[in-house]
Amino acid sequence: MSDSDSEHEQQLTLEDLEGSDTEMLSGDEDGPVDIFTKQKVTVNNEPALRRLCEQIALPTDIPWSETQSITSSVPVHVVDPDDDLNREVAFYNQALEAAVQGRDRIKKEGGVFERPGDYFAEMIKTDDHMAKIRQKLLDENASIQASERAKAQRELKKFGKKVQTEKRLEREKAKADALDKIQTLKKKRQGGDSTGNADDEFDVALASDDDEMKAYKTAGKGGKNQNGKRPAGSSSTTESRGKRMKKDQKFGFGGKKRFGKSNDANSSADVSGFNVKRNKSTSFKAGHKASKGAAKGGAKQRPGKGRRQNGAGRK
Amino acid sequence: MSTVFKAQKSKQDKAKGVVAATEDKPVFRNKQRVLLLSSRGITFRHRHLLTDLGDLLPHTKKDAKLDSKSKLHIINELAELNNCNNCIFFEVRKRQDLYMWLAKTPNGPSVKFHIQNIHTMEELKMTGNCLKGSRHILSFDKNFESTPHWLLMKELFTQIFGIPKTARRIKPFVDHVISFSIVDNRIWFRNYQITEKPLEHRSATDTTDLTLVEIGPRFVMNPIRVFDGSFGGQTAFENPEFVSPNVARSNIKNAKVDRYKSRMDAIAKKDEKLKEAEMPEDPLAETNVFA
Repeated sequence: MSDSDSEHEQQLTLEDLEGSDTEMLSGDEDGPVDIFTKQKVTVNNEPALRRLCEQIALPTDIPWSETQSITSSVPVHVVDPDDDLNREVAFYNQALEAAVQGRDRIKKEGGVFERPGDYFAEMIKTDDHMAKIRQKLLDENASIQASERAKAQRELKKFGKKVQTEKRLEREKAKADALDKIQTLKKKRQGGDSTGNADDEFDVALASDDDEMKAYKTAGKGGKNQNGKRPAGSSSTTESRGKRMKKDQKFGFGGKKRFGKSNDANSSADVSGFNVKRNKSTSFKAGHKASKGAAKGGAKQRPGKGRRQNGAGRK
Repeated sequence: MSTVFKAQKSKQDKAKGVVAATEDKPVFRNKQRVLLLSSRGITFRHRHLLTDLGDLLPHTKKDAKLDSKSKLHIINELAELNNCNNCIFFEVRKRQDLYMWLAKTPNGPSVKFHIQNIHTMEELKMTGNCLKGSRHILSFDKNFESTPHWLLMKELFTQIFGIPKTARRIKPFVDHVISFSIVDNRIWFRNYQITEKPLEHRSATDTTDLTLVEIGPRFVMNPIRVFDGSFGGQTAFENPEFVSPNVARSNIKNAKVDRYKSRMDAIAKKDEKLKEAEMPEDPLAETNVFA
């Protein structure tokens, strides 16, 4: 070993002794006491480390592709090692730099870098494992979406309730307004029925009289229609018959009136209204049972809350 | 036979004055073979990590679990038997602490690490994949060049984790990169798949068409000591910051001891207080007057 090396060692040992690694405990004021002094001197024999490194190092003139090792241009510096995101980004950047440089160097040395699409070989993770990973990703996505949808629904519900209350208030207000108007009208009528109102009515009567007369005259010229009920001028249109048609549709018009609602062969063969799911549902069955039980008189029914709780406490 | 033939041929050539082209410049071959084994008492997670490393490094040779934890020098002989000149040895203590030895057998040096934060490839979080046995690029943090002990570890990693060109089970492409970074005086191990982004998916800020997807495993190596020899010898470096997991655990337990102690103190104090509060016997008490 050279002089400088031994000097270095000397320095090191001195440093070690001075540093906090040497734990010295002093005695009390009364006097020195026997204390077990734990001395921990760490070793950092740099010359030895250098020698070891040289001893095992690969020759420097070998092609790069023998080792394929790349040292980053910038040291990784992470302020807080517990900060996962920043730490991983630093590692990622370091590896990415190596990947980019490595590709260039491999191509320069005439090697192959990327795998062609039709080269299939055993992978480090099996297909089963990759399927599991994919499924997990899908599940995660689905759960995220579901939670988002639920959130939106909740928002909508909140908003919907607002709209509902607004509408209710509006309706109430409208009703109150209408009632108010009616009240004022009534008051007005009671106040001035002797003069203005009588005139109004008279006017209306006159006008309607005129109209009726005209209609009557025209009807008289054309004669009576087939029914003999109505004048032709006032023959009904589809619009005017709307209400009647609805009623006919609902209650039937003409034809046989009896057994209209009773089953016949076709209707009893029709099972489109039957729902298997509903038929098998517990609530439906329970209802069925209950009704059966009621017919028999004395099936087990769920007692009320208070009785249930008391009963449970007793037993 | 072939060696005999070669020897004879070279003799003949020499005699004839023909010099083989290869003899001028002996071609260097990076021959690294790694023995991969663990001690007894290994847990499932450590075992998975071991198999992951075995899959990633096609130049490894696995061996049966080693019985002894004290006589580690026999590993040198094991390595020799298996024609290996490197060794990765997983030493598991108390069925929970994993120590990893990296050694150049038979003459050293060797490094002992404490392995923490293990995530194996089995986990579903890491989505990358690569060919089994393809050679990877080794990426080192620049911090490795700062001090001699890091430099030595870097050399060890390049030899043990670098796959030699002539390894038997390798595949011809390079599709992943293994990175070693130093943060917090520990070495962080990561393994990424290299994928090429198609042109249409590239954004303006991308400087390259390569992207990385993590394959795993990931773990953190906390160096404990560097030894002169293989599995023994003089200590060349000792990590002053290393805290043994036993000490860490006992510290946690001691912190809990304080709680118990303070509770006991409180109870004792209360008892004393009650005793003090007791009144002396009253001479005019009913029992004294009418007894």
